[in-house]
Amino acid sequence: MSSYVLSPFNQTCYQLINKYFGEIVGEVAKFLLRRRYGTLFNIKTGTGMSLWDVKRALAVLIHQNLVEFQANEQNPNIVDYSIIYHNAHCLLRYAKYLYTIKRIFGSSEEVLIEILLKIGQASASDLIFQSANKLNEAIDDVKVINPSDLYQSFQRLATENFIIRCPKIVKSNAFVEKVPKLLEFEDEEKFIVPQLEMEPIAKLLREKATQIGEHSDSEIIWRVNHQRFDVELRNVILVNAAARRVDEKAGHLYHLILKLWREANPAEARASKGVSHILIKDAVRKNDGRSPMLMEHFDQYLRVLCEDSTGLISRTGDSRGGQFAVNYADVFENLACAILDSVVLERFGTKALRIFKLTRMQKFIDQDHMQKLAMVSPKDAKTLSYKLMENNFLKIKELKKGTSNVGPVKSFNLFHVNLPEVVRGVLHSSYKCLSNAMERQTHDLTINKRLLERHADFEKTLEQLRGEDAPDNAIAEFSQSMTVADKELVAKILKLSDNLTLAQSQADETILILESYLKFHSMPMPMFYSMP
Amino acid sequence: MAGLAAVNIKKEKIDEPRPSVSTVNDDGRSEAEIEARMLELLHQFPKGISNQILDTDMPTVDKQIKVTILNKLMSKEKVSMFKAAGTQELFWCLKSHPTSRIKGADNEERVVLGLIEEAGNKGIWTKDIRIKSSLSQATLNKVLKALEGKKVIKSVSSVSAAKKKVYMLFNLQPDRSITGGSWYSDNEFESELVDLLNHQCYRMLLQKAEVAKQKQNDGPFTVRNSSFLSSKEICQVISDLKIVKFNLTVEDIETILDTLVFEGKVEKSTTSDGNCDGQVKTYRTVEKPVSSASIVRMPCGVCPVMKKCGNVGAIQPKDCNYYGEWDD
Repeated sequence: MSSYVLSPFNQTCYQLINKYFGEIVGEVAKFLLRRRYGTLFNIKTGTGMSLWDVKRALAVLIHQNLVEFQANEQNPNIVDYSIIYHNAHCLLRYAKYLYTIKRIFGSSEEVLIEILLKIGQASASDLIFQSANKLNEAIDDVKVINPSDLYQSFQRLATENFIIRCPKIVKSNAFVEKVPKLLEFEDEEKFIVPQLEMEPIAKLLREKATQIGEHSDSEIIWRVNHQRFDVELRNVILVNAAARRVDEKAGHLYHLILKLWREANPAEARASKGVSHILIKDAVRKNDGRSPMLMEHFDQYLRVLCEDSTGLISRTGDSRGGQFAVNYADVFENLACAILDSVVLERFGTKALRIFKLTRMQKFIDQDHMQKLAMVSPKDAKTLSYKLMENNFLKIKELKKGTSNVGPVKSFNLFHVNLPEVVRGVLHSSYKCLSNAMERQTHDLTINKRLLERHADFEKTLEQLRGEDAPDNAIAEFSQSMTVADKELVAKILKLSDNLTLAQSQADETILILESYLKFHSMPMPMFYSMP
Repeated sequence: MAGLAAVNIKKEKIDEPRPSVSTVNDDGRSEAEIEARMLELLHQFPKGISNQILDTDMPTVDKQIKVTILNKLMSKEKVSMFKAAGTQELFWCLKSHPTSRIKGADNEERVVLGLIEEAGNKGIWTKDIRIKSSLSQATLNKVLKALEGKKVIKSVSSVSAAKKKVYMLFNLQPDRSITGGSWYSDNEFESELVDLLNHQCYRMLLQKAEVAKQKQNDGPFTVRNSSFLSSKEICQVISDLKIVKFNLTVEDIETILDTLVFEGKVEKSTTSDGNCDGQVKTYRTVEKPVSSASIVRMPCGVCPVMKKCGNVGAIQPKDCNYYGEWDD
């Protein structure tokens, strides 16, 4: 097997794929992560596995939307496989997806998404069939789940764009190509659900079939729309920010406005189009049941959110009572700065934070000024500013002073912060934190596998004994078969494992904010704000 | 051989010896009287007299005499000479400095003292005195010691360079740039005082925000506006608490409040006050939009040896001590 070190981002992707799909798939993925493109033969020689294994691994990855293929540029008879990096990273967020869907919709939609995430790609009928089976198992009821409910849930998910159609194979009768081409749908067609008959599915369910067999829409395949989930997760962060800055009701208001913006702007852009005051007020009125006070002080809340320095809402025009839009680049810049400030605070201390923030606000500043404004002693100012420089938070720009040829040339040394660069640095270390956490978790669980298995067995037999109402001394005797030290160790391991899982999903949140900043920052500026 | 030509020794015409500077002059004024008249003129024109004025007043007096008298006055430190900026003309004016009161001071001391006086409350460095007065190091040291002994001058060490001493007149207050302002005592930056004031101001603002939150029913606008405090009010309260020995100005408090802004805890805004014209700076506490970067909640985010951590080597996440001790 190959032994090279991957960059933190690639390492996280590799670990996730390894965890969910096993070693063989993991090795193929590792090769492709590093090499970007690979043909079948490349992968075989690179990983040293048999052709059969590589083929199956690739099939799994393609079916899971992690790898895509295209014809090689030089030789159209050969296929190039490449990893879809974003989707690989999104493996981490599957739990969050389920939680989001449950929050927005309900449990039947949650099951649909769960099955779809597990399979990767599926047709509508197949998905509904399998979800119905799963619900049946869970409920264990005589009454069979009605697939029409699931069909409606499916339609709801499609209208909200949480699931999307996979590109179809272009069938050209004239010329049979070696490498099939995939054609993406138009934007409108991507979410249209075909008309389905639920009767055949219901019949199959009653017969307790395990497979759906042939069905009418087997050509129309769906997958989870990761972009939509990203938007959703980002919105959660923004709503939380609004709630923290003002209060809970402002959070509600912002949530409603975000929905309106999404309806007005289907495509992702640096800044959203404006939404009128009247529209927002209508939305709030419809939602009045949740927070009556929001309606009462509606104008005030809107104004306070507008004037907040985070840039959550900005007023872009006056027509129809006022146009309100958001500039995602600005908002995420502020959020990213908050993250950076927090990192500097925890790693270097309050005084370093003062220096960092003031350099960022003043754009360029020299050592003396910095010391005066930050109110730190000159020695501290020097140590901290050099420490920040060492860790790439600050940079120095030299400006020559004067043109006198006599004596040494004096120069100004100005400190400044290059925000995208610092963000990339912190993002890099976030990936590393994430991959470290995952590695520690897998290591712990593998090393202590036997102990944990023993503990699991022990717990199971204990439950059984209790269930059978065994005499107390028997229970006590049995429970001593596992020593106190062992039990403590197991408890400790499980606790660490839980903490690490939590840490991973939290690190993901940081990564999301920083990645969003970089993404919106690099988008082109809008030509103009269009007024409806 | 030709005879030596008679060398005509030309007798040089010996100039008539100038009449010695006698105390008697053309129009019969004595030197002392001319001096007195000059002093009168100097008093009359406190901004200075030029040669022109002297000429118009005393046309008959010989230039040489005028110059001698002026030199004498200058050596007595009663008069100082300047050059007009525009016309490059020389003029003299009366010195009203107390140096003339120093009796028995010799010339060197007077020169040095003059230089120190000029520096005002910023003081002047020994090297600068040496350059300007062109005295040798030893003489200069002697002079400075003598003056210090007479308690005429004092030395003050500057904040910017601890070893550098500047001299200034005894009764002058050193300038802010030397002492560093209110935050320096004994040339050391008082970080504890700054931290203490920092905490105090923050607590005040927090309290105000708490009170403001009670008014939630009036709407968010009221809540926000009533959580503001102006820098003047804060200065008032802090001064009343008498934490510091010296008088706290509004600017001082503003510098402290600015540090709170730089820590992200407080937000600043300028509003125009109704009573007085001009902008008033107001401050209030704010929550950060993101509570804290999640990566810092785990050991890796604040790990000091992060750069050395990897899959191989001594530092690996598998046996990381920080994870072992982590107790979330």
